[in-house]
Amino acid sequence: MKVSRKWLNNFFDAELPSAEALADALTFHAFEIDGIDKHGDDDILDVKVTPNRGHDCLSHRGIARELSAILNIPLTKDPFALDYDISKKSAEVTVTIEDAKLCPRYMAAYIKGVKVGPSPQWLTEALEALGQRSINNVVDATNLVMFNVGQPLHAFDAKRLSSLSIGVRAARPGEQLEGLDKKIYELNPKLLVITAKDRPAGIAGIKGGQADRIDADTHDIIIESANFDGVAIRRGSQMLKLRTDASARFEQVLSPELAAVGMRQVAKLILEIAGGTLEGVVDQYPKPQGKTYVATTVEQVNKLLGTQLTAADVADAFVRLGLAYKEQDGVFEVQPPQERLDLLIAEDLVEEVARIVGYDTVPATPLPAPQTAPEVNKNFYAAEKAREDWTNKGYSEVLTSVFASVGERMVLNKVDGVRPYLRDSLLPGLTDALAKNKPNKDLLGLTEVKLFEIGTVWKGGRECLMLGTVSEKEKATEMLLVGPENPTQYDDLPLSAAERYQSFSKYPYIVRDIAFWAPKSTEPATELTQELLKKEAGPLCVKVSLFDTFEKEGRVSLAFRLIFQSFEKTLTESEANEAMQKVSIALKSKGFEIR
Amino acid sequence: MHIYMPGTQKGHIHPISSLIREANRIFFGMGFTFAEGPIVESEWYNFDALNVPKNHPARDMQDTFFMKDEPEMVLRTHNSGLQVRYMEEQIKKGIQPPYRMIAPGKVFRNEATDMTHEAEFNYIEGMYIAEDATLAQLKWTLEKFLKELFKGFEVEIRFRPSFFPFVEPGIEVDMRVTGDRVPEKLRGKWVEMLGAGMIHPNVLKNGGIDPKKYQGFAFGMGLDRVAILRWGIDDIRLMHSGDLRFINQF
Repeated sequence: MKVSRKWLNNFFDAELPSAEALADALTFHAFEIDGIDKHGDDDILDVKVTPNRGHDCLSHRGIARELSAILNIPLTKDPFALDYDISKKSAEVTVTIEDAKLCPRYMAAYIKGVKVGPSPQWLTEALEALGQRSINNVVDATNLVMFNVGQPLHAFDAKRLSSLSIGVRAARPGEQLEGLDKKIYELNPKLLVITAKDRPAGIAGIKGGQADRIDADTHDIIIESANFDGVAIRRGSQMLKLRTDASARFEQVLSPELAAVGMRQVAKLILEIAGGTLEGVVDQYPKPQGKTYVATTVEQVNKLLGTQLTAADVADAFVRLGLAYKEQDGVFEVQPPQERLDLLIAEDLVEEVARIVGYDTVPATPLPAPQTAPEVNKNFYAAEKAREDWTNKGYSEVLTSVFASVGERMVLNKVDGVRPYLRDSLLPGLTDALAKNKPNKDLLGLTEVKLFEIGTVWKGGRECLMLGTVSEKEKATEMLLVGPENPTQYDDLPLSAAERYQSFSKYPYIVRDIAFWAPKSTEPATELTQELLKKEAGPLCVKVSLFDTFEKEGRVSLAFRLIFQSFEKTLTESEANEAMQKVSIALKSKGFEIR
Repeated sequence: MHIYMPGTQKGHIHPISSLIREANRIFFGMGFTFAEGPIVESEWYNFDALNVPKNHPARDMQDTFFMKDEPEMVLRTHNSGLQVRYMEEQIKKGIQPPYRMIAPGKVFRNEATDMTHEAEFNYIEGMYIAEDATLAQLKWTLEKFLKELFKGFEVEIRFRPSFFPFVEPGIEVDMRVTGDRVPEKLRGKWVEMLGAGMIHPNVLKNGGIDPKKYQGFAFGMGLDRVAILRWGIDDIRLMHSGDLRFINQF
């Protein structure tokens, strides 16, 4: 979520620290930051709000509330505290909710005589900083309030609605709606619609309708500030493949109390920037959100975290977070603010304390010595033994995909659509791997490619761990991996000694052999031979290996294989020949006889 | 430049196998038992038992491979379900905590693959349950493990707040490794290594453990990512390539 540092400043008396300092504060006490972008003289932070905080933190106010707690600076201008009178009942608007489970609250405000036009500059700038387009003063006001406090809002043109009987109901089969994006959406009973005299005027919590849009011709408006069921909105948005700023908030589940906060904000703002008069408000809220309580103790906080915090530390964290509490004998009874739907159990409160004091204050405490010896896993023991046996025989271990083009069982929804089955054998994968590796034998310095795999297959209705082997000389075979019944100790087997992986060239390589006679005493790795070959063959030579030696009449024949390969291109024969020419000349000049 | 001499050549084990061997050795030394479970897993163990409710975005079609004609069965998206399976097995055997368990193994995410994304990869899950298990002990355990895994280098870790439905508090663990021989991608930088936290009481309850008496920590770490960072591997797809130009370097 994009958050403007300038905007955040509106909530505080004192100027906030730098964007980097804010990013650090959030990273170590609340949320990851995906990046910071400059926008004029503003900084835009991309805050990754975790799913448990979608209730209260998908807004500037939510992030400001967090920063207030983390940086310990008071949130002096909290929009939640705005006291703006919207208590006047509308005499003309009615709201009927079909199922209060799907729409726990619906507020509609009727404002007459607005002047729709361009937004004031500050408003346009505020929205543009977040990458939003300014539309007109009324629509911009609803968007601004959403980004400010997290409550999605919608404005309808009251004349275009042609009726002030607002309804919230399931869509009927065959109904359609043209959205504000001018796309036609096919509706169905799983979607919730807002209606005017039973005619769909918007897809609840997702998209408004084009027919009832706000534009220069608009004079009277209905502002909607409602609460919809998170699951229903998420399903609907998936069904329509339409995720909007509104649906993204509703699907996180919002407090119905937030609807009133949003309505006070937006009514005040619209009257300020678009004029008009508030005829009245309808508030359908059959089951107001109750108060909740969660308790924890200082002892519990320390027992879970392994810290030695005091009651004062715990109290300080709660005060900074704006969590009302009562303390008695070390028991803290917290009454979470109504937007904090995430605070349900004691552990949630422990996390709040830990975040605010900072995880860096949690010490590293050793585990006690184990009371019982760990068990040796039979399958893993068998796999390790097989690895040792087969590597000793020159086989290397591959892991191949469990997805296959045939098998007994398959997955329903593979993204790439290919190979949806779970393999019922290791053999096809091993055979493929063998074929793939064979052409690289010289490069690998192998006389024969030999492979094994230890992996799961799904066969005969069972999931079983198999050992498969293949080599150039033997056909691929597999068997159930079996080991000793009750191993008591793992063997001390070698670990990879590799320090660093070296990427290899994707281009083909060229092989050249050269054999020559040398005095019997010649060591193959001396400067005179191997080093010489290496040097003369040049940088395109990636490997030099001795592959044959024999003695005859007091001399020794040395046969070397040279591999040429480039990281940039496919080498030509002539490039390899040229290098070999240099090698021959050098060998001859040292007195070796080329065979 | 390799200079190769023929002779009896030993084959190579896969780098992931080497990592699992090493991880198991370190954790076995700390009293942790290697546990395992099915790859085709029920939604109960993969989600519900882990406090991931039916309407959680993680259960959406795009992340999880669902089995065809096998209702409520998935390719496991993590090894965390083994927490609950392990608790149940122990209770069945009449064994109460403390438990120390690790579970390395293959997990799946339904993603398009590229240099940094794979649909199948390897994870190691770890869990400790006792009357007095703490977040401070988690810090020590992870510090000890990562220090041994990156032996010879200076290793630091830090915790950041995060969220996973099966832990509370939930944290993300970053690591910084310093030393001249450390691969460039890793050298001197804080990198995200794993997710962890204190096991959610609902998860303990679902495993048959009394959350009023016991508490625990759990962590889950991607082994492919560890391999990539440790050895400077540039393409995650090499892991399942079966290519000895890759494997024989380990």
